[in-house]
Amino acid sequence: MTASTATDVRRAPLPIFGKAFADGRRAMLGWGIGIAAAIFLYLPLYPSMIGTSEMQKLIDSLPRALIRTLNYDQISTGAGYTQATVFGLIGFLLIGIASIGWGAAMLGGDEESGQLELTLAHGVTRVQVVVERFAALVLKILLITALMFVLIALLNGPSQLGIDVGYLAQTCLLFAGLVLLCGSVAMLGGALTGRRVWGIGAGAFVAVVGYVFNALGNQSADLEWLHGLSPYYWAFGNYPMTNGGTPIAFVAFYGGSLLVAAATALVLRQRDIGV
Amino acid sequence: MSHVETASRPNPGASSPRTDAAIEAVEITKHFGSTQALHGVTFTVPRGSVFGVIGPNGAGKTTTMRALLDIIRPSSGHATVLGTDSRNAGPELRRRIGFLPGELILEGRITGRKLLQHYADISGPVRTGHIDELAERFHLDLGQPVRKLSRGNKQKLGIVQAFMHEPELLVLDEPTSGLDPLMQQEFLLLVKEARDAGQTVFLSSHVISEIQQAADEVAILRDGRIITVASVEALRQTAVRHLRMTATGIRPADLAERLGGLDGMAGLVCTAVTSQTGAAATEATATLEGAIQPFIQAVSTLSLTDLVLEEPDLEESVLALYTAPGESAESHRAARATRKVRGTRAERKESK
Repeated sequence: MTASTATDVRRAPLPIFGKAFADGRRAMLGWGIGIAAAIFLYLPLYPSMIGTSEMQKLIDSLPRALIRTLNYDQISTGAGYTQATVFGLIGFLLIGIASIGWGAAMLGGDEESGQLELTLAHGVTRVQVVVERFAALVLKILLITALMFVLIALLNGPSQLGIDVGYLAQTCLLFAGLVLLCGSVAMLGGALTGRRVWGIGAGAFVAVVGYVFNALGNQSADLEWLHGLSPYYWAFGNYPMTNGGTPIAFVAFYGGSLLVAAATALVLRQRDIGV
Repeated sequence: MSHVETASRPNPGASSPRTDAAIEAVEITKHFGSTQALHGVTFTVPRGSVFGVIGPNGAGKTTTMRALLDIIRPSSGHATVLGTDSRNAGPELRRRIGFLPGELILEGRITGRKLLQHYADISGPVRTGHIDELAERFHLDLGQPVRKLSRGNKQKLGIVQAFMHEPELLVLDEPTSGLDPLMQQEFLLLVKEARDAGQTVFLSSHVISEIQQAADEVAILRDGRIITVASVEALRQTAVRHLRMTATGIRPADLAERLGGLDGMAGLVCTAVTSQTGAAATEATATLEGAIQPFIQAVSTLSLTDLVLEEPDLEESVLALYTAPGESAESHRAARATRKVRGTRAERKESK
């Protein structure tokens, strides 16, 4: 009781940010364990895969289209393998879902549950709510990505991956930007409709369409223009684990996410809440 | 503002000028798509008063309150709240308001105490120990995760949330819903204390009995329009009283003649009965609207053996306003005259 009464008069800085971040701690832990498990599952397999001719034969026997769809065309190097498996597939799936879920819940879910109405009746502005919750989303994604960076860097030696740590860092930032963009769009979708499910739909649309356009663009020169519309391609098309990231991709992700957040703030400012 | 007042008022409401109104709503309309929720709602809530708005579900009470808090934006008209235009008002205004939403849904693992702390962080400061004081008054366990709280306990948490920072203005949407009668009384006491401390309270309900004890003035809202704004006292004046009396030494026809001409007397039925002592007597039942003085004078010379003049039923008079806005007072009276016996609310509704 003493601790609580002592803090009753306190007014924490950035309360919306603090709560948005703290509310997801348990879920954060879960996603962290999930992505760590995936990394520990995939990466230690690498040495046993490249050395064996059977594996190479297996890869060669697969249809070219399938390999391109799965982005396995550079899988014979440690960097290519890590990008294709961790960042391009399981990581994108797991953290993409997490980010979209967070983004959709932050405004759409909160409004749906009636809590946003109460929060907005307190001493905050709507723009402040959007900005602080977006910041919490960014921090959550960056923390998860930092965990991925640390784990991959740790396994780099033991798993004979031969990854350039600088390129790994760049890839991590691109990856974070990609899932942040999906999460931001989910947040915008939630703000537009006041419904969590529409937020999830909007975020998933960006993620899935990005993935599909990348896969289609990989198939033939006629469809390569689809790469331009694929955030997934912007992140991984240039093989950042092998070549590093292009500045334009960083601008697209972080600048794009900021623009989406700004649009979210504008949308929420105009709307009637909870109707 | 006297010295005594300032000394006894620790809240911020005491320091601001009390000359202007706490809420001034002017011709507020609100459309949701093709439906119109508010049709030009105008009312004024004086500072330091308790103002109730009652109306059936869907009358626009919640919409009006949300408009005051800038949660929704009126289609036209405007509201001045504590001297500030409510539309796009900054956080400073809402820090001076305590709001209890009509549908309070609290979810999550967060405990009541942490949730209150969160809102105190936003809208505080909150006086040390005040949260615990309020929680104790309502027997509310703040250590429970909010999602595990019962409906009534969530409502209590909402009430604490609205009152904890001792705001100048309290906007409370159906504050007593879900509370048991004991807690309703505690809440009404809290409202009284708030008024005594100079705070303004704007609250809604769909039943007047909750409001009539606490409110100074009542606005009746129906289909997005304010039908009437009246003090509870004035409502009481117009409210209908049920009377039942027995007198000896007078024939039913004579009694009917004596009482029938009185203003506000309706549904008069006089019957011959035998009193407990075995004497011939006349029993009369009726409803009486307005002043009781003429009636008292009319019966003063009778030898009464029984007289019951009930507390005016505000709910009944208000229900008439809910359901029959266009009808004249005469037809109100006629409608009431058909109801000789007080029924349940459902029966009353049916009778119209």
